[in-house]
Order: sequence, then structure tokens, then C-alpha cells
Amino acid sequence: MKRIGGLIYLLAIAIVAFLVGCKKDEPAAPAPGAGSAKAPAAAAVGKELNLFAWSEYIPEDVITGFTKETGVKVNYETYASNEEMLSKLLAGGTKYDLIQPSEYVIEALVKQNKLEALDHAKLTNLKNIVADLRDMPHDPGLKYSVPWMVGFVGIVVNTDKVKDPVKGFKDVFQDKYKGRIVALNDNREIVAWAMMTHGIDVNQMTPENLEKVKPTVEKWIKLVKVFDSDSPKTAMMNGDVDIGVVWSGEGAILANTDKKYAFVIPEEGARQYIDNLAIPKGAPNAEGAHLFINYILRPEVSKLVSDKFPYTNPNSEARKLLTPEQLKNPASYPEIKSKQTFRDIGKAASDLDKMVTDLKAAAN
Amino acid sequence: MTPGTGQLPEIQGAQRRPGLRGWLLFAPLMLWLFAFVIAPTAIMFVYSFCQRDELGQVVFEFSLSNYTRVFDKTYLKIFTNSIQYAAITTVICLLVGYPVAYFIGRASEQIRNKLLMLVMIPFWTSFLIRTYAWMSILKAEGPLNGMLLYMQLIAAPLDILYTPAAVVIGLVYSYLPFMILPIYGSVEKLDNALIEAAFDLGAGPVSAFSHVIVPLTRPGIFAGVLLVFIPAIGMFAITDLMGGGRVPMIGNVIQNQFGQARDWPFGAALGMTMLLLFAACFALSMRKSDAA
Repeated sequence: MKRIGGLIYLLAIAIVAFLVGCKKDEPAAPAPGAGSAKAPAAAAVGKELNLFAWSEYIPEDVITGFTKETGVKVNYETYASNEEMLSKLLAGGTKYDLIQPSEYVIEALVKQNKLEALDHAKLTNLKNIVADLRDMPHDPGLKYSVPWMVGFVGIVVNTDKVKDPVKGFKDVFQDKYKGRIVALNDNREIVAWAMMTHGIDVNQMTPENLEKVKPTVEKWIKLVKVFDSDSPKTAMMNGDVDIGVVWSGEGAILANTDKKYAFVIPEEGARQYIDNLAIPKGAPNAEGAHLFINYILRPEVSKLVSDKFPYTNPNSEARKLLTPEQLKNPASYPEIKSKQTFRDIGKAASDLDKMVTDLKAAAN
Repeated sequence: MTPGTGQLPEIQGAQRRPGLRGWLLFAPLMLWLFAFVIAPTAIMFVYSFCQRDELGQVVFEFSLSNYTRVFDKTYLKIFTNSIQYAAITTVICLLVGYPVAYFIGRASEQIRNKLLMLVMIPFWTSFLIRTYAWMSILKAEGPLNGMLLYMQLIAAPLDILYTPAAVVIGLVYSYLPFMILPIYGSVEKLDNALIEAAFDLGAGPVSAFSHVIVPLTRPGIFAGVLLVFIPAIGMFAITDLMGGGRVPMIGNVIQNQFGQARDWPFGAALGMTMLLLFAACFALSMRKSDAA
């Protein structure tokens, strides 16, 4: 078959360009069992630190500051959900030195013996962590993890558009706001909100409880316009939605940009999340990872993080450096009566995922 | 090829058996195919019969449950949804792409290359950047709505972004060149004499088009339809970004199994099913076009 060579060439360019463009979005799936050949460095600090952390969470100047001081180059790779991080970590393609999982993932990883125990002797600044975050059920005594930032899932309202008072989830998910709502694109979150509305413990992810909240989740999904976990504030600022359930840090940023945005802790319950730094088992540069943890525990460094990402800072010394305005932001330092944290739910994650996928597919 | 053919004294041209040099030249392609097509497919095939553990790691324990789950009505519905979106995309791409390809193919050589260049230029930027650009254009307070409001064509901003329409716009935009290029290839080779003959024999433009031009460019149409339809079914980035994550397509479901749901075996089973489906479609259409 004599096809015109030039055309094939053009097509090839097109396809390659397309694939390159797509690549960013696809999780690299390394061959299983193909562990890195790199031998873990001994006690010495390695030249490079492979940091695997949430997107929009670690300011650039913190990383450059660390490199300037220690000479350790930081490779900052990002993820958008805990589960994405787990998939890549467990696939074992890259050896990460430092990861940033939320509390329920820390619990699961500790259970499966996937984390290195921290050497507290090297973490001289650990004393700065506030007392009430030192003995959480996911990691009592901070043996494996150090809190990075604490946040809540809350409601953000554009008060120019939404005039009625909004106190909880049931005020958000109303028919009159259909198509004006943004929600986190996280199947466990939306189910957890429904569970709180029904007065069910968010960690009792049993088939009966799922069945009980299913009609609520079904109704809510139909009302939502955008599901976005990475940057839910974007749809809000673009004027595509007026009300939403988002991370407190995103809510705080909105509240800082314009007075019209109000952040509300839902009265049904506040889901508190604690993101932590932890060292995966077999990290090649565990020494460098300890250095990094100790570096960010310094009050002046931790303050830089708070300036950029206004979540709740777990560092008591750093809080003293914040301005009164920062401390007054209700999205950063809210008053909360009942806090709930996520625990590991194991295989129930599959049932939950199926239910929400099912409901999303049916909603259209 | 039977072993006997090698013993024939003289075999000409294409029928000659490849020598060592031929195999050496062929080896990089074979290696490539093995490393990036055969091996991953084999891994996926094995995974699709496995189970997951609490953390989401693959446990090698034979089971057919992943495949029974594929045929659950939830996923069947998403399959048909995806096929619908891909079909709409393909039809629009064909309707828009055919005239463009025809025009480029019939233009003079100088203009032709410039026009082809224009089709290719968007590929110089990342696909994600182009998708985000579309999002800014379509958003409620974006330039499109701003212009329409200013021209007083609409009273309130159009609701386009985060709707199925936005998904179709994104899909058509991304895949249009894949329709234009193969059709252009067929049109370029079109023999003008045949079209003139059709007119001489009394055919009007419509009948010349449907009886002469379309059949002659069928290979290009066929390739274009395949190149648009198949990737469009599996697309997940556009549905997430421009559809607001509300319209799950089969690509999103598979991606989710490897991400959030941490159920690689089920994701692998979905992937294998899609692969078989495509292979079957392809085999069927090949047989049909052979018969024609």
C-alpha cells in the first residue's frame, strides 16, 4: 500500500504530540515488583530528596531555602488525592523519601508496616507541634508522622448571590441551588457529608449505612455543577458556582481575596483532616527526609507555609508569628464543637466507589 | 508461509524471505512492541483475574469476579454513555472535517501545505493547556459570554462550561485533526478525470459526490472514524476538566480504579474488555470492507 509518506509523518507528529500532552494527566504505571535498583544510602545525607506531596501545598521558597541551607536537591512531585499517592507509592516505581498523606492513610500504612519509624533525636523542633495533635488515634506519639497542616471541610458561600443563611450541608444541597454548587471530587467526602447529616459516624462504612445514605447522596449529586478537588475555588471565582463544599484552605484563600466569600463550618459536623509528613519504608534518603521535616518545623519556615496556604498551622511557635488577621480568618482557625477524623476503611472503599460511580452515572 | 516456500529457486520482490539484515532492521520495532504493548497487555490480563488487598495492592488469587462486575448495569450504562459521546464526536468531526479535508486536498500545492500547517499548529502546545484555554473561553464570566452579552444577543450568561455540551466541544476540538488528515490523504489522490466522467455521464453534484467521491475517499473516512472514535471512548481528562467531573465515561471509571478506588484488578478487567471490544469491532469492519 503506497500511502503518502508526508501524511504518515504528520500523523505521527500529531499522535506523539497528543500523547505527550496527555502524559501529564495519566499516572505512570510502572511494572510491578520492579523495585528501584538504588541501594539505600547509609546514614549519610543523600544529594537528592524525592518529595511526593499534594499539589498547591508546599511553597517554592521553603524548598529553595532548604536546598540553599543543606545542598540537598528536592524533587517535588505532586498528587491530587491520597489514593493516587498510594497507588504510585505501592507500585514501587520511584523510591520516595518523603510523602504527605492524610491521617487515615498514615493509619493504613502503619498497619501494613510501610513507614519508617521517625528518629525523634533528629527532630529537635518536634516540640513545636501543639499538644492536642500529638496523640491522635492514627499515630499516637507521632512515631511515624509529623503534622504538616490541619484543615477542615467546610462550606464557602458567595454572599452576593446567596442571601439565605447557610449553616450546614442541608442548606447547601437544596433544589434552588441546583447547578450552582461545587463539591470536592472525592467519593469518600460526599458520602461522609451525607453520613454526618444522618448522624452516622463517618467511619462506620458498612453496607447498611451506605444503603441508608444512598438516597441523600443521589439527590446531592444531581444538584452539583462541578466536582473538583484540586482547585475548587476556581469555579467559584470564575462565577460558575455560588456555593460549595471545599477544603478550609481554599475557603480561606477565597475569604482573603474578597469579603463577599464567607466560610462556614457545617453544623452537622466538621471533618478534620491532618496532612502529615512521613518517610516510606526503604527510603533511599531517610536522613535527608529527617532534615527536611526538622526544617519545616522551624517557626519561621512554618510561617511561610501559612502565608501561602492558610490552613490551620499545627506549629505553636509559628502561630505566634502570624498576624492577628491571619489568626482571625474563620477558615484557618475556626471554632468547632465536634470534630471527626477519617479512619482507614479498608476494602469498603471499593463499595463506596461503586455506589458513587453508579449514582454519578445515573444523574445524567 | 509454509517451510517449503524457502526452497523455491527464485522468489521475486515482496515474496522474498527477509534476510538477517531485514530482521535486524525490524528488531527495534519488535522490541518496542514487546516492551510497550505486549508486556503491559499481558500484565493487565493477569491482573484482571486477581484481587486487591486492604491497601489496594494486587493479590494473586484467581477470580472471575472482576469480569462479572464489568457486566454490572452501572458500568454497562457508562459504556453506552461513552459510546454515545464518542459517536456524537465522530459524526461532528466527520461533518466538519470532511469539507475541510476536501478543500485542503483540492487546493494548489503551495496553499495546501500552508493549510496543513494550520491544522497541525495547535499540537505545538500541550493538550492540557489547550483544554484549560477552552475552559476560560467558556466559563460564565469568560470572553464568549462577555462578547454575547455585549452584543446583546443573550440576556444572561450561557451555561456551557461543565455541561455535556462542553465535553463534546472539547472532544471535537481535540480529535478533529485526526479526522482531517486521513481524509485529506484520500482526497489528495482523487483522480479528477473520474469526477469529470461522472458529470459527463449526467450525474449532478450530489450524485457525483455520493457515487464517486465518497466511495473513492472511503479508506480515509474509515481511518478517520477509527482514529476519532476509539480514543474518544477512552478519554477522561476532558470529561473531568470540562465536564466538571459529573459525566463519568468509561475512561474516568478506569482511571479511578487505578487512582482513588485503588482497585487495579477491576480496572484491568475493564481495560481488557474494552480492548476485546475494539479488536472485535476492528475485525468486523475489516471483513466488511474486504467484502465491499
